[in-house]
Amino acid sequence: MGADDLHASLDQADLDQADLDQADDHIVAGRAADGDVAAFAVLVRRYTPMMRAYTRRILNSSTDVDDIVQEAFVTAWQRLPELADPGKVKSWLMRVASRKAVDRIRASRPQVSVDHIEHPAPEHASPPRVTETRARVDALSDALQRLADPERECWVLRELGGYSYHEIAEEMDVSVSTVRGLLARARKHIIVRMEEWR
Amino acid sequence: MTSGDDRPDPRPLELDPEHLDGHTIDELTDYLEAGRVPADPSIDGSPACRLALDALERLHGLTPDLIAADTAAEPEADDGWVRRVLGGIALDAHAGRRIPVPTSVPHADLGITEGAVRGLVRAAENAVPGLVVGRCRFDGDVTRPGAPVTVLVDVSVPYGRPIPPLVEQLRGEIAGRLALHTELNVTAVDITVRDVRPYGS
Repeated sequence: MGADDLHASLDQADLDQADLDQADDHIVAGRAADGDVAAFAVLVRRYTPMMRAYTRRILNSSTDVDDIVQEAFVTAWQRLPELADPGKVKSWLMRVASRKAVDRIRASRPQVSVDHIEHPAPEHASPPRVTETRARVDALSDALQRLADPERECWVLRELGGYSYHEIAEEMDVSVSTVRGLLARARKHIIVRMEEWR
Repeated sequence: MTSGDDRPDPRPLELDPEHLDGHTIDELTDYLEAGRVPADPSIDGSPACRLALDALERLHGLTPDLIAADTAAEPEADDGWVRRVLGGIALDAHAGRRIPVPTSVPHADLGITEGAVRGLVRAAENAVPGLVVGRCRFDGDVTRPGAPVTVLVDVSVPYGRPIPPLVEQLRGEIAGRLALHTELNVTAVDITVRDVRPYGS
């Protein structure tokens, strides 16, 4: 694709960009699945912050987040026609990002070892409390950052990504019982640390 | 749990089986996710289990807030980012079926992609300001010349405008454009209003 074509297709879309921006996911994703670049651009704008945030939680790091989110969007563009219900594009995009993130993790850490898990030290002081909910979110955030990698990955896929235990096992190439064990430990650690905050 | 903890708070929750009347966090999570049914008296009757269940429930209830806070903390996608992403996509990814175009030239083989015809259908929205076309499907064997084809289109309309005339206008535009540019035997244009936008632009 030439840059000029891209500009032309985006400029042409400026005509009704505001309308498209306001349209719901079903309309925008359905249109993107049909090959409309302007509609896909709306999805990219709409969901980049969520995709970044989610990927950052899985990786517990900012490194590679942009690369993974970009890869996820490129794959999403190719596979959008397979999405039966375009109204579910948000959770579907999270799945695509999960897969990219887990692939990246597996490439750098071929095996999940449950027996020798290291818990990283907290990297930063806890941020100031604003409201009760905010404080609890901050406590959760802090606890997540202190989980061992496989525990955090399982928890994020389960709780933020909505994966089943089987899906996590498949994605991470471990047994379901390993996933259960990791999740139980993750929950235990999170709850204990959040209690310490109270 | 922590050494040198001199805060007045009660002891942290104990979540190991020996403190949970023999139950595990894994079991308690399953119980919670099943809606605490069928009721398990050995769990419901255990104060330690109930405390752990409450903590698990609070944690689960907090995740939407975590997602919202995380997402709000991210910068919006700027133009440079959007162009970077779009620069990596293949534009011919959604060509779809090949629709033959009759020609009188011997041995010539003309065709138009389904994706291109969808583009024609989308462009019909330009004649109906405020209306946005979503997904477009062709129901029928478009690869066989003359075969009956139903066009299925999702649309979004702006709030505050009567829907029937908007849809009627779009239907006419779509039928007219397809008749002009293709040989498709369009027997119906079915339009579904999927979305009403709160404020028209």
